[in-house]
Amino acid sequence: MITIEHLKKTFKKNKVEAVKDVSLEIRDGEIFALLGPNGAGKTTTMRMLSTLLEPTAGTILYDGKPLEQESESIRRRIAFLTNEIRLDGQFTPDELADYYGGLYEMDEETIHRNREQLFNYFGISEFRDRRYETFSTGMKQKTSLAICLLHNPDTVIFDEPTNGLDILTQHLIEDCLLRMKAEGKCIILSTHILDLVARLADRVGIIVDGRSVFCGTVPELPESQGVKTVEEAFIKLYKENHEEKAIIGKRGKE
Amino acid sequence: MSGLGKVFHHEMRKILKEKAILFGFLILPIITLFITVGISLLQPKTEQSKATSYVMYFYGIDMEKTNIGSIDDKQIWIEKVEEAPEQFIHSEKFHNCDVLVDFSDIEHVVIYYHESDSISNYMKMSAESFVRDSFDQVYKTKHAHLLFRTVEVEDITLKDNNNRMIAMLLPYMLILPLTANIANFAGDTVAGDKQRGTFYQVMLSPVPPISLIMGKILSVSLISLFSSGMYIGIDVLGSKICKAMDTKDVFGFADVTVTMNQVLLILLYAVLLCYLFSNLGVLISLFCKDAAQAQTAQLPVTLGCTLASMMSMFRLGTSPSSHYLIPVYNICLIFQDLLNGRAKMENMLMVALSLLIMAVLVMVITLLSYKSEKVRA
Repeated sequence: MITIEHLKKTFKKNKVEAVKDVSLEIRDGEIFALLGPNGAGKTTTMRMLSTLLEPTAGTILYDGKPLEQESESIRRRIAFLTNEIRLDGQFTPDELADYYGGLYEMDEETIHRNREQLFNYFGISEFRDRRYETFSTGMKQKTSLAICLLHNPDTVIFDEPTNGLDILTQHLIEDCLLRMKAEGKCIILSTHILDLVARLADRVGIIVDGRSVFCGTVPELPESQGVKTVEEAFIKLYKENHEEKAIIGKRGKE
Repeated sequence: MSGLGKVFHHEMRKILKEKAILFGFLILPIITLFITVGISLLQPKTEQSKATSYVMYFYGIDMEKTNIGSIDDKQIWIEKVEEAPEQFIHSEKFHNCDVLVDFSDIEHVVIYYHESDSISNYMKMSAESFVRDSFDQVYKTKHAHLLFRTVEVEDITLKDNNNRMIAMLLPYMLILPLTANIANFAGDTVAGDKQRGTFYQVMLSPVPPISLIMGKILSVSLISLFSSGMYIGIDVLGSKICKAMDTKDVFGFADVTVTMNQVLLILLYAVLLCYLFSNLGVLISLFCKDAAQAQTAQLPVTLGCTLASMMSMFRLGTSPSSHYLIPVYNICLIFQDLLNGRAKMENMLMVALSLLIMAVLVMVITLLSYKSEKVRA
């Protein structure tokens, strides 16, 4: 379980407050969807969760253990996949699996076993001797996913995993998410596709202008806003909490 | 430092798979071989052994061309020279066995000769004797106030050794491609990885920062060390080819000798220099978004190093000890000293120490920078 309390991130260089106050709770065995408009602070939050960035304030607890104190052992338990993260193009999936498995100090037998399972599942076994750079976008994403999951993480963070993929690959990734959920893994999913959230997610967290404005189950989201759909609830929450709108609202009242 | 070996091995494999990068490291040194040997081949060789006679040239005194005897079936002549000594001794006319007596200043007579064999020694001694006799007979009687001082003997061979062409060129030839290649490769291995998104994948693994950074630095260092070795090896090979082909030793390849201690120190320099440049390249690349930006950001370092090595080309004679503390320039000075056979152990140790301190300093800065937001964001 991941507990995020009053998380804040201000970039030193440009003094931008990317995350102002985010508090969320993400449980094991669930798909947690992180929603928010572009620039809301979702990616920065996920980068902090994956140990890439250090928070300016607030705490992140993995099973009650603070992230900053246990970052190395936590990195062994998590996987983070975004569209920005790629693999070395000169290598084949087999070579990449050996390398990344080695970095996680996995023994050869475990690497081999996990690799075979994942490669077969994602349908990349027949391309295992081809260089990664020669793959299509979908094949690259599937290979990245297989390599990411090689060390059998119990927390998986996905930033828009189905962006730019064909319907078959999207379906495969969705199936993969459900399988991992069934295995009891904690899955954090950031996406703009609200239909995907409605279909897959158990709980949802919404961030607007760097602040978490909702954290609850998917059915609770429209209920809490007195609307029918997730989309309507998201738009309502955004309008209520967006700072520019809030300022205009205040001026209007004056 | 768990994972260091894995990162290093992976980075090395990446380099070996990249043909464009290998070009700079391997092919470029081989091209320089053709340039150095080619220049030597183009130079006409002075055929000293085929001299038909031995000549004692005189500058600054009027005399007729006169035969003064013979040795080994070859005639010895004395002859007047109009050309200034500095130019004449480098001309084709001045053979290995000849001597030139500069009489332009009677109080400061200089004899130029090549200390190559017994003939030239004989000629030099004859010239010295001739100078003393001439002074006693002609000048002392006519100009009583003149004080005859010791005849200065200038060994041209020794003088040449003090400023070998290869000593001027080699540091420049080493530093320029080395810095340019490291800028290229360090830029690709760090900033290029950031651009491609592969850097973050490794950062997310439990590998400690020091292993990741060191793995990258060591791979760049090793390949650049190999490249430096190629340059030095190429120069040795060049000297052998020139010797075998009996060409004129334009670069002063011949007779470069170094002791075992000096060889070990050269090896230490090479390791430290490659490590230092690689570390600097990685440090700069950490703050860049892509390989092109990293290469541009490293331009001042490359230009600074090129300038320092170029400045060393215009250095004549020895330098004060303080000059051996100037980074990069000191490496060039030491290489020159070694090739000219005048390297002092204290200066060599000073250079090694300064390199070591800089390498450690840059390493600490690199590790601190790894945690920087600009690197990780």
